[in-house]
Amino acid sequence: MDTLLTAEIAANAPRYRRRSSTFIDSIHDVSEDHDMAPAQLYSTMSGRLFHSGRIAIVMVGPPARGKTHICVSMARYLQWLGVKTRIFHLGDYRRATIGPEGTLPDDYFFPDASPSSVILRQKILKKCREDIYAWLNHENGQVAIYDAVNPTASGRRSLAKEFGKHDVQTLFIESYVDNEQILHDNAINVKISSPDFAGMDRETAAKMYLKRIEMRIPVFETMDEPELNYIKMINAGQKFFYNNLSFNYLSHRIVFYLTNLHIKSRTTFFARAGTTAEEDSYKADAELSEEGRHYAKMMSETLLKHREQERLEQIAKGKPDEPLRPLSIWTSTRLRTIQTADYLKEKGYKVRQRSQMSQINPGVCEKMSERVIRQIYPEEVEKHALDPYHHRYPRAEFPRDEIIEIIPAAYQNEARRIRIPGLDPKMLSASPDDIRVPGSRPMSRPESGQMSPIPGGIGSPAEPLERSTERVINTSKDLVADKIHDEI
Amino acid sequence: MPSKTNNGVGIQVEDTKICVVMVGLPARGKSYIAQLAQRYLQWLSIPAATFNVGNYRRHDAPQPTADFFDFNNPEGERKRRAAAEAAVADMLAWFRTGGVVGILDATNSTKERRKWVMDTCAAHGIEVLFVESKCDDEEVIMANIRDVKLTSPDYRGQDPEAAAQDFRNRISHYEKVYKTINGDNDEDHYTYLKLMNVGKQVIINRIQDYLQSRIVYYLMNLHVRPRSVWLSRHGESLYNLSGRIGGDTLLSPRGEMYARKLPELVRESVGDDRPLTVWTSTLKRTIATARFLPPHYNQLQWKALDELDSGVCDGLTYQEIKDRYPEDFAARDEDKYNYRYRGGESYRDVVIRLEPIIMELERSEDILIVTHQAVLRCIYAYFMKKDQAKSPWMNVPLHTLIKLTPRAYGTEEVRYEAHIPAVSTWRGKGSTAKHENPTPESL
Repeated sequence: MDTLLTAEIAANAPRYRRRSSTFIDSIHDVSEDHDMAPAQLYSTMSGRLFHSGRIAIVMVGPPARGKTHICVSMARYLQWLGVKTRIFHLGDYRRATIGPEGTLPDDYFFPDASPSSVILRQKILKKCREDIYAWLNHENGQVAIYDAVNPTASGRRSLAKEFGKHDVQTLFIESYVDNEQILHDNAINVKISSPDFAGMDRETAAKMYLKRIEMRIPVFETMDEPELNYIKMINAGQKFFYNNLSFNYLSHRIVFYLTNLHIKSRTTFFARAGTTAEEDSYKADAELSEEGRHYAKMMSETLLKHREQERLEQIAKGKPDEPLRPLSIWTSTRLRTIQTADYLKEKGYKVRQRSQMSQINPGVCEKMSERVIRQIYPEEVEKHALDPYHHRYPRAEFPRDEIIEIIPAAYQNEARRIRIPGLDPKMLSASPDDIRVPGSRPMSRPESGQMSPIPGGIGSPAEPLERSTERVINTSKDLVADKIHDEI
Repeated sequence: MPSKTNNGVGIQVEDTKICVVMVGLPARGKSYIAQLAQRYLQWLSIPAATFNVGNYRRHDAPQPTADFFDFNNPEGERKRRAAAEAAVADMLAWFRTGGVVGILDATNSTKERRKWVMDTCAAHGIEVLFVESKCDDEEVIMANIRDVKLTSPDYRGQDPEAAAQDFRNRISHYEKVYKTINGDNDEDHYTYLKLMNVGKQVIINRIQDYLQSRIVYYLMNLHVRPRSVWLSRHGESLYNLSGRIGGDTLLSPRGEMYARKLPELVRESVGDDRPLTVWTSTLKRTIATARFLPPHYNQLQWKALDELDSGVCDGLTYQEIKDRYPEDFAARDEDKYNYRYRGGESYRDVVIRLEPIIMELERSEDILIVTHQAVLRCIYAYFMKKDQAKSPWMNVPLHTLIKLTPRAYGTEEVRYEAHIPAVSTWRGKGSTAKHENPTPESL
């Protein structure tokens, strides 16, 4: 009773609720506007897209199938799109209900569990679902991700029916793994931290863990319900099966995201353009200054050296000596960025100008003082004060517009800054902090499913940022391989 | 594994080449899918071409009867094999000239045939993506058979009933040998997309790279439910009157009249009271134009539908552009599709940012889009397969509603005029006239 009470108080306290309903990942943290880098298609008062209704994404699959990891990546992507998304991990509710000292009855996951286990199960489920409905109904939530095992077809049918009654569409996502190697790798990585297996060698621990899952969850029915909308992700994205009865806009986006999730790992570097002669005017589109050119050279050299060094480190770690992955450079269509890439272009690297990369157009208010803006556009100033993040000055873009065009890329970032030796601060027009990596808010790691089932990993722990005044380059992993290297 | 497109120092030397191999029985919409995929890719400036084996076969056997397709008929078998070889040979030659996505449109219904295509492509460094259309919905099949018997050159001039019967016999010959992809679990190493009953169920296997996933995503968004897309420019704006480009001005009095007339025009064209979804840009003139539409129409503003950004030239007349940026003015007329305004966009840039809009359009049903001249040209070019060199010069008059209805082989177009006078914003090559009458070839 006591622990349950504590958990309930925690779960119901407004501050905790705002931070996270689940305590295991930080994507629920309510971020400051300027931290966010979503790419919402359009904004509405409710914060919901209105050509897509409310959706419950229901995860399906036993432990060690990477469910939690898929949830977290997907939620981050949806939030980046500007969709209000929250994950509800049933495991958290289970832990909170049982308390740190309590143990789960052995038959908890059994279809023919004892009445007391069934009651406990229902209590936990009820709490979790109440939270889902409360969030969808009272906090303008759009996508609730329900992370649980959901092992039986009958359970899934009744779940879809119940959500339907609340006017919520259900999309099931099953992570199905029949590849022993993937299961085994997942188990090893999930188990490393558990005290249950202390002192045991990894192989034995993994086998034991998988055995234990089988015993605890003896009945698992893979999805085969023709009347439900579902996506089956087989062996970590090697194959997908979709049962599409009524996929809506967001379902399709999720499908596209998931198919890209596993593709290939790659690194993305971000660098600011050098300074120009006429620094402040957006319209002027000026050339690089002397300092700007010097910076471009130093930045490029640092980048190439960094890549080479990484390769050598891989070889030193015993990995085969592979050639570097191709590097292609994207610039905006503005002269300063094109010229910043000139050094690399001369070295033979492919440089592409992409209009999506352009700096945000400040619109008609460029270089106006606040007083002048107030005089000319009093209404706009008022609107801006109410919602600086969504508001758009006449003809200007708001921060979200900038990102919308690069949606296909699945951002899974591990941010690290690289120091450029000997960089004079005046070579850059503003603080290097101005680089914002989409979706790079540091995230704590989920407790379950720490390891991604995806070869190479769909996400890695963020390394602590090395703060220095000169860092300009970020690395991020696992972006979608864009083999076209071209205009699309 | 090192990438084969990588020469060791990380510089890309060649691009991906993909052969999309259609698989499926006759009358399963393969050619329709192939045609849409090709149109979509070409619109994105990705060189794409379709190689229809049936066309090659018709050289030797212009109007064969169903017996020709009996797999026990050695003569028919030999000719069909020769046709497939000729199509693949032409496709390989086309890849050598810079093709990126070649679509092999044939039944490819046996494992042997698929293996042969796979091996041939692999030997030439071409990735293969099989796209199977599988359908057991009798209604869809019947609709396709009706369509084929009306349009296929195989049955031209024949009695429709006899043609339909012969076509059914042909299908049954194929059914005897047809094997769905990986039906025996021995084709699991192929990259494939299997669409069952027009996308109701989908299997995606071993997608390797971004372009493949792009094609797959596009094909998954297609549907065959009947629908139309309505396009309109905004009403005449104040800048239109003064011959200035860009800007964010409001409507002229005549533009206002058009906005008031639009609901009536739309009702006339739609024919009933079903609601449309209205998409506008974020600029005032399109929002103002759409504001009298019935309140039960959902309205969405898309930044992606904003007019081509003319950068430093925004708000100028063509004469002023020519005076201030004579080189730019000439360069733009030289290659209007690729010319990018300083600090602004080109038509090509607009197409790239419209890509999510097209995806969304394919997925949706009835949509009315109120947007701008350049954007409308790009959307129109997608549906009507207009050439890039020509589409930027196309005349899209103000105060006209265009209705586009996708059909199996091409898009049907109907125009509704509001009969409210407006200036012409069309401009011929080299001209700096404020308002100029379009020439006949620009229509």
